[in-house]
Amino acid sequence: MTTATSRTAASSNSLSHLTGQLREALGHESVLSNHSELVVYECDGFVIEKSCPDVVVFPRTTADVAEVVRLACAFDVPVVPRGAGTSLAGGCLPVGGGVMLVLTRMKAIEEINLRDRYAVVQPGVVNAWLNQALRGTGFHYAPDPSSQGACTIGGNVATNSGGPHTLKYGVTVNHVLGLEAVTADGRIVRLGGPCEDYPGLDLVGGLVGSEGTLVVVTKIWVRLTRDPQGWRTLLAIYNSVDDATNSISEIIGAGIIPAALEMMDQGILVGVEQAYRLGFPLDAQAVLLIEVDGLEAGLDAQRNQIIELCSKCNAREVRQAKDAKERQLLWKARKQAFGAVGRLAPSYCTQDGVVPRTKLPHILRRITEIGAKYDIRVVNVFHAGDGNIHPILLFDERNSEQVGRVLKASEEILDECLACGGSVTGEHGIGVEKIGFMRKMFNEDDLAVMERYRQAFNPNGRLSPAKMLPTAGACGIEQTHPGRRAAL
Amino acid sequence: MSNSLPLTNTESPQSAQDTASIVRDCIAARTPIYPIGGGTALDFGLPAKTPGVGLSLAGLSRVIDYPARDMTVTIEAGIRVAELQKLLATERQRLPIDIPQSEQATLGGAIATNTSGPRRFGNGTLRDYVIGISAVDGHGTAFKAGGRVVKNVAGYDFCKLLTGSLGTLAVITQVTLKVKPQPERSAFVVAGFRDLDHAESLLNSLSQSRTAPAAIELLVGPAWRNDPALGDLLPGEPGFIAVGVEGTEPEVRWMVATLVEELAAPATSVGKALRGVPGSPVGVATSTRPIPARREQRGRSLQSDVREAPAAEVDSLWHRLTEFPAIGGTPLTLKVCVPPSQVTAMIRLILAADPEASIQAHAGNGVVVAKFAEFSSAAYSKLLIGALQPAAGHCGGSVTVLRSANPAELTHQAAWGSLGDSAMLMEAVKRQFDPHGLLNPGRFVYFAR
Repeated sequence: MTTATSRTAASSNSLSHLTGQLREALGHESVLSNHSELVVYECDGFVIEKSCPDVVVFPRTTADVAEVVRLACAFDVPVVPRGAGTSLAGGCLPVGGGVMLVLTRMKAIEEINLRDRYAVVQPGVVNAWLNQALRGTGFHYAPDPSSQGACTIGGNVATNSGGPHTLKYGVTVNHVLGLEAVTADGRIVRLGGPCEDYPGLDLVGGLVGSEGTLVVVTKIWVRLTRDPQGWRTLLAIYNSVDDATNSISEIIGAGIIPAALEMMDQGILVGVEQAYRLGFPLDAQAVLLIEVDGLEAGLDAQRNQIIELCSKCNAREVRQAKDAKERQLLWKARKQAFGAVGRLAPSYCTQDGVVPRTKLPHILRRITEIGAKYDIRVVNVFHAGDGNIHPILLFDERNSEQVGRVLKASEEILDECLACGGSVTGEHGIGVEKIGFMRKMFNEDDLAVMERYRQAFNPNGRLSPAKMLPTAGACGIEQTHPGRRAAL
Repeated sequence: MSNSLPLTNTESPQSAQDTASIVRDCIAARTPIYPIGGGTALDFGLPAKTPGVGLSLAGLSRVIDYPARDMTVTIEAGIRVAELQKLLATERQRLPIDIPQSEQATLGGAIATNTSGPRRFGNGTLRDYVIGISAVDGHGTAFKAGGRVVKNVAGYDFCKLLTGSLGTLAVITQVTLKVKPQPERSAFVVAGFRDLDHAESLLNSLSQSRTAPAAIELLVGPAWRNDPALGDLLPGEPGFIAVGVEGTEPEVRWMVATLVEELAAPATSVGKALRGVPGSPVGVATSTRPIPARREQRGRSLQSDVREAPAAEVDSLWHRLTEFPAIGGTPLTLKVCVPPSQVTAMIRLILAADPEASIQAHAGNGVVVAKFAEFSSAAYSKLLIGALQPAAGHCGGSVTVLRSANPAELTHQAAWGSLGDSAMLMEAVKRQFDPHGLLNPGRFVYFAR
């Protein structure tokens, strides 16, 4: 039984042979093989690790993808799929080189069916494009990760992406009905489809979130969600983090499921205010962006109840968006918070962890302590409704000693998430970054079952080697010093 | 109803460790294992043929952790669904999945069969609520996946894989669920329809309703006549559409009034994909459909017989809608899954073959449960395999057997339909989890075991 190992790059002779065959199959303009072109793809949003692919291809059709995988099999080289490369966990890192399959040219929305509430998209469709296409129809595609302006639906499927609306609307897997995919040996399979409850195993559910380690997804049937009738968007401002997190507990305890419940601490608030001048008080310790959606007949009552609960928890002020423009402005502050981080430090590293919601006050206190311990400044913006934290560690990448402390601080924060009964990743995935944590979250038996499952799809370990599961080759990644910052 | 399984004996472990130990013993002896929850779905699938050990999970019923403010609950898989709901009700929460025979059915069994009911339209299915799972596979390995938090993408999603797997990959011992708040109240709006074309226009209208129904049920046949909640059909009406709504008092009142208005004068059919409809300002009550006028079409009024069901009958109607698929006594119960726009077409086919069939369609999901009053042996090949499965397949759907009075007549094709590309992958996954083919052999979709 072959386990996924770090493969040695194909010898240069067979590599040029493979490249030639790829050019023949896909066309010259769909294949990159010069080093200066390849280096663009040496990392994704996780800039700390780098590895150059041997060749990059841009298929246009499912048949192209199948051909590429078949050729990779014939030459026994790894295959790594990639969408927009926004992964923050090294999900697209081509460990061991090999063929990088960039899916961005497969970018058609093939069908939108409102009566039957589904759409069919190619994996390279940018998340935001789908919702743009649906504007005005009364429907939308619910999963909206903050990177939706760049990330692809195929990538969303690979990582089971979330975003701010998951507490009420679920994550990507709850909105995927079917997949077409190419298997590790180059077969094209269709799983699920536009209907519900297909007989047999839920392979679609078992493939979403598999981070490119099982199949290459070439088409997705997604569920469309009816637009809510209305929204109420509130911004609650607090003098203490504890008051903000207590409010969250109170709101949930009252039986209200907000469509979104996002928190920003003072650190990020300062950056956001400097960038966007929204009139946020710079001395506030935390703000909560709270949105409820649904029927007009119920929204005012929910809004009033939320205001009451926030005030009960000592909110200094609760602002309401009066119209669509104000609503968009409040959301802009949240969705572009990461962009504002540039004002705070030359480089940053976003962590992704989860704790039970009731443990939020505790984890935020621990993050402050850990930051102090390693002398690293940490600011927080995150999906408070579901306990998914995103501590942002600020540093200067030119200072490699500081980078070392950033990595240690990150690790301790994630250890603390586990100690609270949470997870080491809420939405970014394990990728390369968190392989070391898999043994902390799962024991050897759990990992053995996952490894066996991967064998069913990827017996030679050719697809996305050294990802997600800690196997023999996965420890062999060298830590290089960080290079360029990734744009979000 | 363990007499549907060829059991040599039954084991009743009291803990997950006991369970794992029994599974390991059976594997060592190469003895088949038949997991049993409440025993309410043991006749589901193909009839088991190989004698083996019954493994009753009912002794695993402990509540492990219930942090209500986190909206999650962790329990052992043998807990009866009704008991779980009672526990959740103490915090005004619920698992919003309709599971029949809930006093007997266990959570693990419901998950293994992916049982659902009318509220799947507004709330989803068990697949959307299982966030952590512990189980013992066919190697005897006790493993877990997922976790205790609602947001978690670490590792492969075995919560999804095991849901609906009929105990053929692993025996579920413990589950963590997302739960939801209990709504304040619910109501039904009931509309009789003149014929299936009229039904389709009502369903089309509902697909664009300004309300957010919890359930859209299309009900035809003898089972629904003389129903105290649905009332009487007008002469010539084949059946009802019952729309269930849940929420706060003002929300429910508004939805009932709006549905009555929308169903009394449905919009005309809009085809597969709407062209751009002008959007409305955000935050304001949005109507995305044209305001319907009372119109005459082909010389006949489209007005429907629409009313709210009596409040006192609402709970019992939910109950009947939940129990319908589980009530036996008919030759055959099928489950047809098609796109929602094809529901009335499939019902037409079914009624053409058996005008006395009783049908419950979760019309917003495209799921049709059909109980045949008559179903001959010849009908398995002629009607089911020869007509219904191809018709469903043609629009990307499926037809499977939920219950047969004569399981010996079931072929693999009749029970499961054509599995297409997925068959090979399912076999490969099964081999990895259960290499000796000992978990619930012969019942599910695999050709090998």
